[in-house]
Amino acid sequence: MQKIFTCFAFLLILQCGKDLTPYGGAPEVSTLPTRFKPDWPTLEWKETKPESVGVSGDKLKLVESYAFERTGDDTDRKGKRTDGLVIIRNGKIILEKYARNFTKDTLHLTWSVSKSIIQTLYGISIKNDILKLDDPGYYHFEALGKDEAHKKITIRHLLNMSSGLEAEEGYESGPLKSSVIAMLYTRGRKDMATFCSSLPIRSEPGTQVYYSSCDTNILSAILKNVYGKDAYNDLPFKQLFEPLGIKNATFEQDASGTFVGSSYLYLTARDLAKIGYLYLNDGIWDSKRLLPEGWVNFTMTPAPGYKTTPYSIDLPTDNYTSHWYANTGVPERGVPEPWPDAPKDTFAASGHWGQMLFVIPSLDIVIVRYGDDREKAFNKNEFLKLVKESVIR
Amino acid sequence: MKKNILRALLLFAVLIILWIQWNWKHLEAFPSIISSFYSKEFCSCYYVMKQSEEQCHNFARQWVPISQFGNDIEKKEVTVSGLGRTNKSIFLNEKQGCVLKND
Repeated sequence: MQKIFTCFAFLLILQCGKDLTPYGGAPEVSTLPTRFKPDWPTLEWKETKPESVGVSGDKLKLVESYAFERTGDDTDRKGKRTDGLVIIRNGKIILEKYARNFTKDTLHLTWSVSKSIIQTLYGISIKNDILKLDDPGYYHFEALGKDEAHKKITIRHLLNMSSGLEAEEGYESGPLKSSVIAMLYTRGRKDMATFCSSLPIRSEPGTQVYYSSCDTNILSAILKNVYGKDAYNDLPFKQLFEPLGIKNATFEQDASGTFVGSSYLYLTARDLAKIGYLYLNDGIWDSKRLLPEGWVNFTMTPAPGYKTTPYSIDLPTDNYTSHWYANTGVPERGVPEPWPDAPKDTFAASGHWGQMLFVIPSLDIVIVRYGDDREKAFNKNEFLKLVKESVIR
Repeated sequence: MKKNILRALLLFAVLIILWIQWNWKHLEAFPSIISSFYSKEFCSCYYVMKQSEEQCHNFARQWVPISQFGNDIEKKEVTVSGLGRTNKSIFLNEKQGCVLKND
């Protein structure tokens, strides 16, 4: 009964605040300073003692115990449940630990971290002039051209989670009307992107940020049409994983052969750290530029639509950029930084049940944390604070 | 007095029926969630992440229990029933992992 009331209350809240004025304009993009690294972890990550790269081993122990300390009964899936933790400083592993039967060689479900890797594939495709950031989606994906309103949706809008499509995100909270559940498991599962494109428009594309798995799977389907099925099947493996030396990866597709970019990429913790390292180095890998200049800055810039998105309790927790998260806050909207005790330039990919990839350029640190948290027991700010405090120089 | 209560009940019933009609596409699909989620996530847990059966049950279980479960290791198929619906996931290969089969 209480669930039904919660559902009703939730639906009422969703109806609020639809008065909007459109916001346009590209995010500011400038190039990060180029980094020079003699060692690239293409073959394997090097490991080193924390002290040799300016990190206190004792303080790092606190990071480790924060992540792995059991705070609830495992059979009831309570508390923090960390599966793996890898921390990289100056291009070398300084902390690596696994639990609950995971090892350095096991693939782990990344859930929504997959979205950020779809963004990487867009970076690569734009660098190679395969498509353009401001192309309307329907140029490449017919299902998105059903009327004039849908035709306004561009690739940039989709990357900024601002398509305006009326999706309902939420897994366990409101299963009945959740479009993400319908997309993954029931009505949409045969062809997720077509299902998503059929959703009505709730707001002018580009004006309202609404985190949506649908936006990602439409992006994934656009890539399928642009590359053709065979080249698309190889796209993540040949264009991204191979250059980084990622040999073992699973990327599941829906029944129509579109990568489930919203949810179903599986990587080892070490290999996900390589994706972080690519972004730490401004999209350059072993002196070859894979992502366009300015792409990483675009990744760290909050979606412009934030400025006109109606306030909700979720707004301050997100700071969504272009399929990643940033620690910038949105001062114009009075939205504070989500992780106030972490460096301002921290940015992240983040997934359901506690999957995290943090990149901190100012500290030259990359962190991967895998888990299976069924409760909100893992506090990112507290965790990042401990990481920051472990850095001596 | 009695009339008023009856009227209120009737109104309530009409509202419920309207709500059901309005949400029919969601309600109709809903029961399938339990078995499709269980079979897909169990399949990936077992064949992609290579965890034990026990761990994968623990990973895939939801607040609504399932009524039937089968993991065919030879065919690499996971079949699950729950809330009166049955769904099957199949492991394709190392790169593509598992996918829900459509009837």
